[in-house]
Formats: sequence, C-alpha cells, structure tokens
Amino acid sequence: MKTESSQNSREKEIEKLKKYKYGFSTDIENTKAPKGLNEEVIRFISNIKKEPKWLLDWRLKAYQRLKVLKEPNWQKPKYPKINYQDLYYYSAPKSFKEKPKSLDELDPKLLETYKKLGIPLQEQKRLNNIAVDAVFDSVSVATTFKDKLTEKGIIFCSISEAIQKHPELVKKYLGSVIPLTDHFFATLNSAVFTDGSFVYVPPGVRCPMELSTYFRINASDTGQFERTLIIADKGSYVSYLEGCTAPMRDENQLHAANVELIALDDAEIKYSTVQNWYPGDKDGKGGIYNFVTKRGLCKGINSKISWTQVETGSAITWKYPSCILKGDNSIGEFYSIAITNNHQKADTGTKMIHLGKNTKSKIISKGISAGFSDMTYRGLVDISKKADNSRNYTQCDSLLMGNKCGAHTVPYITNKNSGSNLAHEATTSKISEEQLHYCQQRGLNSEEAVGLIVNGFCKEVLQQLPMEFAVEAQKLVGISLEGSVG
Amino acid sequence: MLKINNLKAKVGEKSILNDFSLDIKPGEVHAIMGPNGSGKSTLSNILSGKKGYDVSGEIKFEGIDLFSLETEERAHKGIFLAFQYPLEIPGVNTNIFLKTSLNAIRKARGEKELDALEFLKLVKQKSKELKFDEEKLNRQLNVGFSGGEKKKNEILQMSILNPKLSILDETDSGLDIDALKTVAQGVNALRKKNNSFLIITHYQRLLDYIKPDHVHVLMNGKITKSGGPELALELEKKGYEGLN
Amino acid sequence: MEKQLIRDFEKSFENSNLDSKKINFKKEFLNKFIKEGLPGKNLENWKYSDLSKIIKTEIGDLSFYNNISPPNKIDSSMYLSGFEHNSIVFINGRAEKIDLQFEEKDKVKISEDFELEKTSSNINSLVNLNNAFTEKNFVLTVKENYSFKKPLVIYHYTNKKIKSQNLNLRLNFELEKNTSLKLIDILDDFSEKNFINTFYNFKLNQDAILKNYKVDIKNNSNIKYSFTNIEQDKNSLSETFILSSGSAFNKNEINCNLNGNYSSAFVNGILSLNKKKHHEIRTSVNHLTESTKSYQLIKSVLENNARAVYQGKIFVSSDAQKTDGYQLSKAILLEDTTEFNAKPELEIYADDVKCSHGSASGSLNENSIFYIMSRGLNYKEAKELLINGFLLDVINKITDEEIKNLIKSMIGLKE
Repeated sequence: MKTESSQNSREKEIEKLKKYKYGFSTDIENTKAPKGLNEEVIRFISNIKKEPKWLLDWRLKAYQRLKVLKEPNWQKPKYPKINYQDLYYYSAPKSFKEKPKSLDELDPKLLETYKKLGIPLQEQKRLNNIAVDAVFDSVSVATTFKDKLTEKGIIFCSISEAIQKHPELVKKYLGSVIPLTDHFFATLNSAVFTDGSFVYVPPGVRCPMELSTYFRINASDTGQFERTLIIADKGSYVSYLEGCTAPMRDENQLHAANVELIALDDAEIKYSTVQNWYPGDKDGKGGIYNFVTKRGLCKGINSKISWTQVETGSAITWKYPSCILKGDNSIGEFYSIAITNNHQKADTGTKMIHLGKNTKSKIISKGISAGFSDMTYRGLVDISKKADNSRNYTQCDSLLMGNKCGAHTVPYITNKNSGSNLAHEATTSKISEEQLHYCQQRGLNSEEAVGLIVNGFCKEVLQQLPMEFAVEAQKLVGISLEGSVG
Repeated sequence: MLKINNLKAKVGEKSILNDFSLDIKPGEVHAIMGPNGSGKSTLSNILSGKKGYDVSGEIKFEGIDLFSLETEERAHKGIFLAFQYPLEIPGVNTNIFLKTSLNAIRKARGEKELDALEFLKLVKQKSKELKFDEEKLNRQLNVGFSGGEKKKNEILQMSILNPKLSILDETDSGLDIDALKTVAQGVNALRKKNNSFLIITHYQRLLDYIKPDHVHVLMNGKITKSGGPELALELEKKGYEGLN
Repeated sequence: MEKQLIRDFEKSFENSNLDSKKINFKKEFLNKFIKEGLPGKNLENWKYSDLSKIIKTEIGDLSFYNNISPPNKIDSSMYLSGFEHNSIVFINGRAEKIDLQFEEKDKVKISEDFELEKTSSNINSLVNLNNAFTEKNFVLTVKENYSFKKPLVIYHYTNKKIKSQNLNLRLNFELEKNTSLKLIDILDDFSEKNFINTFYNFKLNQDAILKNYKVDIKNNSNIKYSFTNIEQDKNSLSETFILSSGSAFNKNEINCNLNGNYSSAFVNGILSLNKKKHHEIRTSVNHLTESTKSYQLIKSVLENNARAVYQGKIFVSSDAQKTDGYQLSKAILLEDTTEFNAKPELEIYADDVKCSHGSASGSLNENSIFYIMSRGLNYKEAKELLINGFLLDVINKITDEEIKNLIKSMIGLKE
C-alpha cells in the first residue's frame, strides 16, 4: 500500500511539473533580513545595499505613510489577509554578499537555474540580440551585453548599481511617476524595494537590442519588491521585456513591484511582459499574489509609451499598466492578453489619462477565462478639458470556457472635451462548436484546436511582442489552457 | 462656367496641387484621370468647399470667386459633388434629407419649395429612370447600403438636385457593369447645353459610356497632358508611366 | 438631518390610521436611512453623481414632512390633449384622481398592500427613505388575459406650494398572465428646489407585456431620483424608454431581473441636456435563466455645462446560457464645458452567450456636416439635422406608434 501511495504522489508531482515547468526550486543558501516589516528592516536593506542617506530617508518616509494607508479593497479578487510581519523583505544568495565581478564568479547553481529557465547568462550562449538582467529573489545577478550598450551611452544595470553610479538620474526620476503616497502596495514597494532594472537611453539613441529582465522568486516566505525605472531621453527608443517565474510552493507569495517609465520629447518606450508566476495548483493552493504598479509618463511632446502584456501566471493578478499623456501629440498603447484557469483570479487593465493636446490612446484587451477562474478587465480613459483633438479606441474581448468561470468588463470612460472622440467596444463569446469541429476535422485534437483558436483570438496582441517573445507567449497561451476542455 | 487658375493646395507642409489650371465651358464634359495620390480627391474637396487645405490661386464659377462661398452656397449655385465615399448618416431618412436639400437649394434660388406630394412625384420618376429601389429611400441615409447602392444614391441625388456642374469623384470605382451603366445613364440624362461635368476617375471604363469632350492627366498635382477622348484609351494601353 | 428626519417622521404619522406595528416597521426603514444617509460619491453607484453634495448645494436643508391631507385642484390644462388615455394624477405627491375610463372595471384592481415593502428592504438608502415616508402603497393589478385598451398616463405634477421638500412616491404594478399595459410618466413641475424620490415596482407574470415611457422635459430646478424594479417571468417583455431633459438633476435607475425563459427587456433613453443639468441613467439587467434577451440604447446630446452619465450593466449568471445581451451608449459633446461619463459593464458567468457593449463619445462628425452642406444646407441646419437623426434613432425604438408620435411631437423632432 505504502509503495502505491508514494508512487501516486510521485506521479502527482510529475503531473504538476508538466503543467508548470518552471516549478522547481533551487537549493541555494540565502542571506535574509529578519522577518517582519519595521524601520530596522528598512535600515537593514538600505545598509546592505550601501545606499545614500536621501534614499534611506525616502524609504522611511514611505514607511511612515504606509502606516496610515489601507490595503485597497475595491478590486474584485479578494485574498486572505496578508501578515506583513511574517514575510522576509530581503533575500539574497549568500554567495552574493560581495557581488560577483563577472559571470565566472557566479554560483554554478544559479547559472543552472537560469539555464533551466531558458535564459543563458553566459555570453557565449547568449540570446541573439537581447541584453538580459537577471533578478534572483531580491537581487540582480547578472547583466549581459554591458559593453555593447555602454558604447552607445545606454545605461542598463540593476537599480542598486544605478543608485551607486548614477544617483543624479535615480534621484531625479524615482517616484516621479508613482509618488510615494500613491496606494498601499506601491508605497510598500517604495519602503522595501530591493532590486530591479534601471535603463537610461541618452538623447537621439535608438537602443540596438531588446533589453530584458528575468525575474525569479526562489526563496520561500519571501516577498519580491522589485523596482524598475526606465528613462528614454529626447528622441530615443528602447524596447524592454520582462519575464517572470517562481517555484511551486503551497503557500502564497507576494510580489509587489513598481515600474516607472518616463519618455521625454519624441522618445518611445515599448515595454513587454510575459508574466508566468506560479499560478497555484489546480485546486487553487499556493501561487503568487501579483500586485504590481506600472505607470508610464509621456512627459515630452510626440512621446510614446506602449505596454504589451501576456498574463498567464499568478494566483491573483492585480495590475493596470497606465499612461499619463502629458506631452502634446503623445501616444499611449496597451495590448493585453490575460488568461486565467483553474482558480486563478485576475483584475487587470489600464488607465489612459489624456492631458495634452492631440493625444492618442489605444487599448486592446483579450481576456480568456477557463476552469473556476475569474477575469476582470478594468480600465479608465479620461480625456480632460484641455486635451483638444484627442482620440481613444478601446476594444475588450472576453472568451469564456465553461460556466464555472467569470468574465467581467468594467470600463470607466470620461470625456470632457468636445473635440475629442472616444470609442469603446466589448464582446464576450465562446469558442464555437463549429470552429472546434472544423479544426478537429483537419486532424487537430481538441486542445490543439483550442490553442489555435485562442491564439487567433489574441493575434492582435501577440503581434505586438518582439519576435523572440512572441513564440514563447504563443506556447504559453496553449499550455495555460490545458485541461480546460472536456 | 468653371475657371481654375494656378490653384495651389497644401495640407500642412505637404503640397498636393501645384499650378493647377482648368477651364470648363457650359455643356462640356471633362475627365480628369490620374494615379493614386495625384491630387484628384483634393481637387473635388476644394471645389466643394471642404476645409483643412491651405489654398492659393483662383477659382471662378460663373464669374464668382468660389473661395468666397461656403459649401452650401456653392450647392445653391449649382455645384454638386458625388462623393467617392458617400457618408452614412444614421437616423436621417434619405427621402427627408433629399427633400430638405432640394428645398434649401430652391429657396436660395428664389424658386418655390416643393410640397411633399410634388417631391414624391419627382423622386418616383427619377428613381424609376435610374432603376433605384424606392424602398431604400425610406431608410436612413446610406446606412446599410452596399457600395453600389451608395454610388447610385449619389447619382439619384444629382438628378433630383439638377446641378449646373457635377463633379463625380471616382463614382465608377467598385461598381459592376450594370451599376456603371446606371451612373452613365444618370449623367447622360442631365447632359444638356448648359450643364457641365467633371469626371474624376482612375480608369477609362466609365468613359466608354460617358463620352468626354476633354481628357486631362493629373500627376503630382499638375495637369501633365490634355487631349480628346482618345487620350483616355492611350492611357489605358500605356499606363501613366508610358505618358511623357 | 437626523433630528429633522425623526421630527418629520413623527409629524407624518401622528394622525395616520396606520397601526403601531406598521409604523414601527416604517421606523426601521427610517433608521436604516439615518444610518446610511443620502448617497455620495464614495459609493460606486454614485461615483459620477454625488447626490448628497448636490442636494446640499442646490437645496440645502430638506423637509421630509409632506402634508397630503388637503386635496389640490386639478387644472385640466395639464392633461395631454388629442390623445385618448387613462390617467392617474399626483399633485405634490398626493394621489388626486384615478381615472380608468377606458378599461373594464373588473379587469383592473387598485388596492393597497403593505407587505410589499418587505420585498424591497435591501435595495438602497433612497428606497429605504421612500419606504419610511410613503403612507400608501398602491398596487395596480391587471387581471389575467386583459390588455389595457388605452395607455395609462401618470401625471407627476408639482406646484409652488412646496419648496425644499422631499417627496416620496411609490407605485406597484402586477401584470398577471398574458396581460399588457402601456404606461407614460409625465413629469410636470411648477415647483422649485425639491427632492423627489420615486420607486416603481413591476411584476410581470408569464406572457405579460409592459411598456413604460418616462418623460421629463419641462425645465425645472428639482432634484429627482427614480428607481424602477422589474421582475420578469417566462416569455414576458418590458420596454422602458427614458427621455431625460427637464430637471436640474435626474437619475433614473432601472433594475431588471429576467427570471423566466424567453423573457426580454429593452431599455432605451435620451439625455438631452443644457444649462448645467446633470442627469444619469443607470441600468442593471440581470439574466438569471436560459434564453433571455436584453437590448439597451442610450444617447446623449450635451451643451452648456451639462453632464450626462450612463452606467449600464449586463449580468449573466452561470445558469443563463443562450443569453443575448447588447448595450450601446453614444454621446455628442457640443461644447468643452460638457462632460460625459460612462461605465458600461459586463459580468458574465456562462459561456454560451452573446454579449457586447459599445460606447462612443465626441463631437459631431465634421465630414457628415460637410456632406450635408454640399447638398445645400447651412452649418446650423446640418448640425440640427444630424442631432435630429442621432436622437431619432432612439425614438424609433419605441414600439408603440401612437406614443412614438406623441413623444416626437413633444420634443419637436421631425421625420
């Protein structure tokens, strides 16, 4: 009997791994801050990162503010109360006490981890034309292609490094789009953020390659609070990608990142995300709480910020990558695919705030819900009185698979300018029997057919992704829905 | 009737028409042919008074400076534009729209406005002539009309409003042969001693049914060649590149 | 406000013939309202229309006591002419006259039913306020297989005798199996700065047809709120049309529960606003069983500091397969001083459904104006023609020809 049950549990493990192939964890010794959230921990983080005093003060100010803020409760997915005193706010591989100078000094286990994830850090095996910054738990472990970028004057490094080497840029822009006081999770991040990426593209420079950060949560009981800051100076262009995975753990883990983008005159930032945090098992146990604040400021005239996201992971996703269109003629775009299966919940969308004249925004959102999951698109489009001749187009489509899941579309639309036009369309549908039948008749099995049809449904968004990511994202779309058709 | 001298048109910094000149006399049919982007539609827009162009030069219609007239005043004077893409106006009944237009024009000309009965009679007769399904006139203007129906509706409006100068902006594009014949029939019926036409087109096939007096080739905002109906056939054979 | 409420409540019921049990029951509603207060923008439902603030700035202190004992004189000029109809006349919230001259006496019943209040205890604070202060709870029942021969017009007339007052009015309608009723609400105000709170409750049994047309076109400075609840059984149909234009503030809420298969609901509305007016239509159509249908079309034309709000929700429960739900809102902003807010919402838990919504707002299409002008109309005429057409689209959704023409003539729309 005993053997049989252990056989069973092994099979279960394998089954689990098949569903979420990034679900392994790596055994690496960690340095952790003591559990809990208090001034001491914040001082500990700031100290270990050798931060200047202004930043420590900034963190402490955020912490003071946090004490009076309440967690938001208006979003649809509810979650059990998080005990913020029972979390680690800093965790780093022990071998990192002194940051390795080169990849050769990296813990081989870490290299192995990234290899398993398909992210080779050694430059000889580097991905074609993608510079990678890898963040493991709380710290950035390696950044590739540095030299080539430095040639062009592009700064691409961890935010910790930028704080040391480019304090003037960090000081000027950190918190300029997401203020300290914004909302609970953003403020929490400001108090305890550990690492993340920093990008600065100088005037007139077109970044010659995709910049990418790969986030990995490994340690248990650890929150991940990364902070990303991207500045595109006048007339520059940069395309940035982020990918995320985490091991399978039975408890929920909190991820509360802040991402700030600033585009100056004539600059363009393209920000793509493929989010595949561990979603929990098929009964809804475990998984990441992905409470992320992403906001871009089109500060200059003719600037453009484009968000593309493929959200397939996390137990709960709660994020609204937004654009503040301040500069005249600026453009904001949001392309999103969000897939929930089993017991996943997502409340995601965008905000487009039109302040400048001739500003344009476009929102394409594709939501797919299956299993017992629940998906909400929540979006805000606001055209202010002064935003003459502005345009918004929004298209929100939802696809439901089965009647145990939900799709919720909640757009908030405000128009205060008579010369501006807003158009919003939304549909909800299912995959028709006819479509399935047609594909099956041509030899596809039902899961392949669903994958194919869903990829078609998402095509407009997938097209926005850089090619290297598009292929991965397409596969992900198929995998995420496995087991959702009977 | 229509005299255009050195017309220049720009949108922003982009120059679209350049030293464009044309003289249409009463009763004449002129055809302007040109490739995409040569400025054909800009010409018809400017003649009918569309805003948004930076124009200089001179356009006289029966001796009056056209630039001094608003779009509707040009319509009152007898200029009609058959739109390349007729607009859909939801909620506005086609018949009501036509009657309102006709009476606005008649009123401006000092003619008696038509009452419902007289108007209906006129519409019936014209629809019959043009084989236009009368039932469609009770629908919302151009809403749910096919491409061909929209174009035929433009020609019906033309024959009811009875203009002096009709500008047909690519009316033939996207039409099957029967619809093309109907369009030609509408034009030919209106073709009289005093009525003139400016036919803007891409292809010469409409000209098989409406014989033009003059054919002009428009390229890069300028008339590069003028001639008789034979020029259209030459164009068809050699293409725009073959002309020099 | 609390003291005033308690005082006015006591005054309202001191000479009433309601027994103490009923008065206590009403008191519960009063206490609920006292606890919740007037709704403000902190509530999602009132996000775009902060009623508490609007009443404070536009009216100030409200009096909740309404002396309904002395009868008012009915001025016959208030009746719609050239249009045969039954009527119920309310003057300052007092039911003055019920005239069902065109109907068979034994097919229509008017009664009072106190128990009904129990069914509406958890809707919102304004319904609680309504339940606390309405003394009479009328029920109009249309008996099985009977169709009203002529429309029933309910005149909501107010005159200068009231000011800064809260009026509460409640009516219940039960349409038994296979019946039909056409109802027109005419808001006709000569009073100023009052808060008028109306609650309609409809129960549509199998095969019943309800057509309700709500007309608010007379300019007045009153603040209005109206909540309409429609319960629909198998194969029933409801058509609600709202013409919202006259009052300084008006919020119409329509809640429709499609409980029976093949039931359908239509909600169409026009918000035609100028002069700082602020109107809202909020709908929630709940598809609770299989094969139900809903359709909504709301259009707004705004000028001179006006503000229009449309919050529309289609809810589809997991049992409601084969739902067909559609919703469209459009707004034309004629000036920069105007504002349009929309929250078109879909909440869906069944997969075999066809649901969509659209919302568009902006200026008049300049190309359309140009097209019309090229046919000889001037700018002003072209604009009017377009607005006319824009609104006519909604009016044409009215399925009753006679009432359609009546409403067209009321607002001077031409076709």
